[in-house]
Amino acid sequence: MSIPLFFRAVIEKPRVMVDGGVSWNYPLDLFEEGSVASVAASIAGNVFGFKALRALRLEDLRFPVAYVKTFAGPPHGIQVERDRLGKYGRPFLGATLKPKLGLSAKNYGRACFELLRGGLDFTKDDENITSQPFMRWRDRFTFVMEAVRSAEGETGERKGHYLNVTAPDCEGMLERAEYAKELGAPIIMHDYLVGGLSAHQTLANWCRRNGVLLHVHRAMHAVLDRQKTHGVHFRVLAKWLRLAGGDHLHSGTVVGKLEGDRETTLGVVDLLREQFVPADLGRGLHFDQDWASLPGVLPVASGGIHVWHVPTLVSLFGDDCVLQFGGGSAGHPWGSLAGAHAIRVAVEACVQARNEGRDLAAEGNEVLRRTAAGSPELAAALDTWREISFDYEAVDTLDPVSA
Amino acid sequence: MRLETFSYLPELDALEVRAQVEWILARGMVVAIEHTERPDPYAHYWTLWRLPLFDVRDAETVLGAVEECRRAHPGSYVRLNGYDPVRQGQVSSFVVQRPGEGA
Repeated sequence: MSIPLFFRAVIEKPRVMVDGGVSWNYPLDLFEEGSVASVAASIAGNVFGFKALRALRLEDLRFPVAYVKTFAGPPHGIQVERDRLGKYGRPFLGATLKPKLGLSAKNYGRACFELLRGGLDFTKDDENITSQPFMRWRDRFTFVMEAVRSAEGETGERKGHYLNVTAPDCEGMLERAEYAKELGAPIIMHDYLVGGLSAHQTLANWCRRNGVLLHVHRAMHAVLDRQKTHGVHFRVLAKWLRLAGGDHLHSGTVVGKLEGDRETTLGVVDLLREQFVPADLGRGLHFDQDWASLPGVLPVASGGIHVWHVPTLVSLFGDDCVLQFGGGSAGHPWGSLAGAHAIRVAVEACVQARNEGRDLAAEGNEVLRRTAAGSPELAAALDTWREISFDYEAVDTLDPVSA
Repeated sequence: MRLETFSYLPELDALEVRAQVEWILARGMVVAIEHTERPDPYAHYWTLWRLPLFDVRDAETVLGAVEECRRAHPGSYVRLNGYDPVRQGQVSSFVVQRPGEGA
């Protein structure tokens, strides 16, 4: 029996990989050009519900350059964001607004203003904030952008707020994006999994056309990716996002309150930032991935991080990342302004020390203590967070690989 | 007025500036010096001091150029930028002179 060329690759014998997984090739023509939804529907589709399979996990996939080239990817990328905002040689700093729910728009804008003038680059809508009765989106956008402008005037630095445009429908999403642009917002935010992959690509295209940066949240990812035996690994969701387009993506902290094994997270960070990522099972990377000039995405470390984590975060992630301290800034005993100031001082001191050749992993705490002698805000922050740690084992860990 | 990286730390002294310059050079970056009297967060370009120091690999020459720019523009902000010649993009920037502003 002759087999149509088209299907030959699918029924090739699967290859067993060193870690016990199996891999397949698919013919390129099974997937629509430039469509992450098309990839997801095929590769993470019905097969995950087959009665014959008790469980199935998509650990990784490799996109050939020919397919990568059908996507425009991140609307701007890391270099363009740095150039537009004039921020170089250090991580970007942000904070998610706390308390996240219940503030009126004007009071919410006040919280942004304090954090931004205190020294952060960005504030962020939490993913739960869309347009509820206590704060409609238009009111929030208006007050928050006044806070951004005022903080820029005071500090001489560019500031931004991730205005969440995630909406009930695509028309609403684009209406919110248009208003953000009208207000001069440098950056907006979308929740790509709950908002949907096609909606997300629409928004990424809009951002590219309109010169607005796109911060991407990943609510619902842990529903899909956390169990070792079933679902889709986050590195796959991250690869989808780099194709679909986003300038920032939440990708774990290693040290904070949320799931994320160290080597796995660093593997994902490489997938977001680098042009070519070699296979490295020690980081969970099963295949080489060549991104063929697709712009990079800034990894965002957010969730339970505070000032004592700064040396580790700077040495783990380097400069091209966003470090976000929500409770870690608003929880300062003297308020958000002092909390933001303390974080900025800590990060700059760690960057300076790193550039001077000091080893932050070994000397980080000493750098913080010495710097705090000249910064009462930092000293108070160091006292406040001394006791808080999140010392739990990750659920989704890498399995040891025998070489 | 803060003006980005290292502006939340005490002003860097001569040795500290030299350490940062050495780090920039060690990473293969090209240095350029810019100055302005009125920094504006929306203005990406300050006035370039002479030409970027394309072939300069020693901190001494860089610091000499910074000093000349400072002397020529004592009332201006002066910053030192590092460019990655492979990526062809700017990677580093910090202010090395702030005229008295009481801030």
